[in-house]
This record gives sequence, structure tokens and C-alpha cells, in this order.
Amino acid sequence: MESIFCKNVSKKYKKKIVLEDVNLELEPGKIYGLIGRNGAGKTTLLSMIAAHAPVTEGLICLGEEEIWENPNALEHICFSRQLNPSMIMVVKDYFKLASMYYPHWDENYAKQLIEKFELETSKPVSKLSKGMQSMVTIVAALASKADYTFMDEPVSGLDVISRDLFYKLLIDEYAETGRTFVISTHIIDEASDIFEEVIVLNQNQIVIKENTQELLERAVFVSGKAEEVDKAVKGMNCYHAETIGRSKSVTVLLEEGQRIEDSSELTTRAVTLQNLFVALCGKED
Amino acid sequence: MSQFLSQEKSIYLQISEMIENDILRDIILEEERVPSTNEMAKLYSINPATAAKGINILVDEGIVYKKRGIGMFVSTGAKETIKKRRKAEFYDHYIRSIIKEAESLEISKEELVTMILENEDC
Repeated sequence: MESIFCKNVSKKYKKKIVLEDVNLELEPGKIYGLIGRNGAGKTTLLSMIAAHAPVTEGLICLGEEEIWENPNALEHICFSRQLNPSMIMVVKDYFKLASMYYPHWDENYAKQLIEKFELETSKPVSKLSKGMQSMVTIVAALASKADYTFMDEPVSGLDVISRDLFYKLLIDEYAETGRTFVISTHIIDEASDIFEEVIVLNQNQIVIKENTQELLERAVFVSGKAEEVDKAVKGMNCYHAETIGRSKSVTVLLEEGQRIEDSSELTTRAVTLQNLFVALCGKED
Repeated sequence: MSQFLSQEKSIYLQISEMIENDILRDIILEEERVPSTNEMAKLYSINPATAAKGINILVDEGIVYKKRGIGMFVSTGAKETIKKRRKAEFYDHYIRSIIKEAESLEISKEELVTMILENEDC
């Protein structure tokens, strides 16, 4: 399987810019996490890659071939979007449609997943709770067996036990097949260890795309007396500085070769992906 | 191999540390198979590539080795290797932070030594 490339992709709705000049390579055989604030353009990006929506400018390709209106490329792609909560279609009919739409659909696997999630398939989607609607999108995504599978907030509304089940099923499927998954989520920390790479969307652009562990290794939270902190982080990439009285804290993204000198005047701490996300994308006071 | 992972430290380092702890405590014996990356990935809900990175650290140190087609096994002498290395790291990992905290509390070196000597477990 080849990589998917977004080349200078922009999306505008009338005058409103949602994504601007996005360049992205999705390599086969990885689990990507896609994070960004509400309205950052996560769903728009995924729906354009899956050719559910046209780009305003730019090109999206699987290998050399453009994906738009290209059945050869589209058979490898599944975008399981969030359901319209008032959809009156019965769940099993939704799966029937999915089985016709996705050429590599695995009916047995779908049945197993439905059992694991204890989904009632004879009910209309609109009668399901938000969490159960998310389960429907998870089953459709996994059973599609598409090489590239995009999931839009699959854990939204799921209780913690079902989320745990989802992560385990995902790792199972990934370990077995090496399919590529892109998963958008707002529940960042509990999923961050699953993402081999993380993609951060902020203000219409991709601000980070990096191996998750390597990214977290170069992120440090530094606190202490303001002038000591300033001295230690001088010239570094600093985010989300906060001061209270004489104390100051700041999140630093270290570049190659940089380090915070060990000192009894300073406290340094590892940050989680969620901490880092807030530091990068939160508004400064 | 059944602890919770913390967010304070790289996941792959925690994975290699947990396997080492299991070896030190005879939970996994020398020449026994260690759990596969996929087993660990599922158990801890982590990416298999991260679990593999943790195991590769142990391979590089000669603590585990690969039997083609079967899996990873604990080397003979692994326990000694781990102990030796951890002894070498003891100063950096523990003593340094004790001294740092003692300094900020103005505990003198003599006081610190007395505390250690008087500890009944010692």
C-alpha cells in the first residue's frame, strides 16, 4: 500500500477558511491521532481525504493517483463519520448499506463486534444513546477492512469500559492486519499511547505531525522563580507561560541539542499530550 | 507485567523497566519467553511499535534475545546484568534527587548520613 498525500490543500466555505495550505503524508501501517479544538477542521480534513467532500484548492492522492472520483483508490478508504442523531434508519440496515459500500467488508467480524458491544441492531439509530451511536460507527469502520480507515471521534459519548474495549479491539485489528487508522478524539491522554504519530490541527493548519513518544520526550514543564525560569528557557520554544507572584511556569518544546539544566532552583516535569495540546492551542491570557 | 503506566515517563522505558522488574523478582525466569509486543500492546492499550521499542532496549543490552519464529527470551545472566546496570545508575536516579531535596531543606550532609545509618532496615 502507498502513502496518502495532501498537497497544498485548502477548504473554504464561502468566505470562511477552514483549512489553509495543508500538506500531509499518511504512511501505511500506522495509527495516527488527530487532535484539534472544536471547529479546527478535523472532520473537514478527513472527509476531503476520503472524497466525501471536494477540496477548494490542492490535491489529495493515494500514491500517484488522485482519490477524488477514483474507485481504484476509494476501495481502500473508509471514513466512518458521526451519525446524524435523528437518523430513522434501523441499525442493521445501516450495516447492510455499509457492507454494500465497502468492497472488503467482513460480515463475520461485524457480527462479532456487534456482540462485543451488545448493540441492538433492530432499533433505529435515533433511538440509540449517543454512546451506542458511536459504537455503530466503530463497527462500520473496523468491519470495512479498508486499508485506510478514518474514524471521527469514535469514543464520543462512550463510557470508560466501552472506550477501553474499543482501544483493545483497535490494537487487535491493527496488530493482525497493519491497516492504517486515523482517529480524531477529544479524550487525548487515554488514547495518546495508542497513537504512533499525532497530528495537531490549529487555526486552519497542521502545527504538529510527529511520533507521539518523541514529541512528549522533548516537551517539558518548567516552574520556579520567574527569573530562574526565564534564564533556563531563554531562546527556546515556550508556550503557555503563567506567572503567579514571583513564580513562573512554562511549557517548553526542546529542539535538538537543547536541554534544561538541572538545578535545585527549578522544577521540571514531563507533560502529557493533553497538557501539551492545551499549551499549544489554548489562548494566552 | 500488570502495573498501570504513568504519564511521567516515556512508555517504552516503562515497558523495558517492567520486564526488568519481573526478571529481578523471578516473575519471568531466565530462558523463559517474555510477552510479545502485541500481547503487551493489548494489555496496556499502547501502540505495538512503542512496546517493540521497549523490548529493543532490552535486546540491545543483551537482557533478552530473539528466537526466530518463536519470540523473545530472557538471556542467561540477565538478572546480574540488570543489577549491575541499576547499581551504576543508582547515584543518578536516587542519590542526586535526595541531595537536591536535602539542599533546599538545608539538611546538612552529616544529618543525611546519620539518617541513612540510623535507618533500621539498613
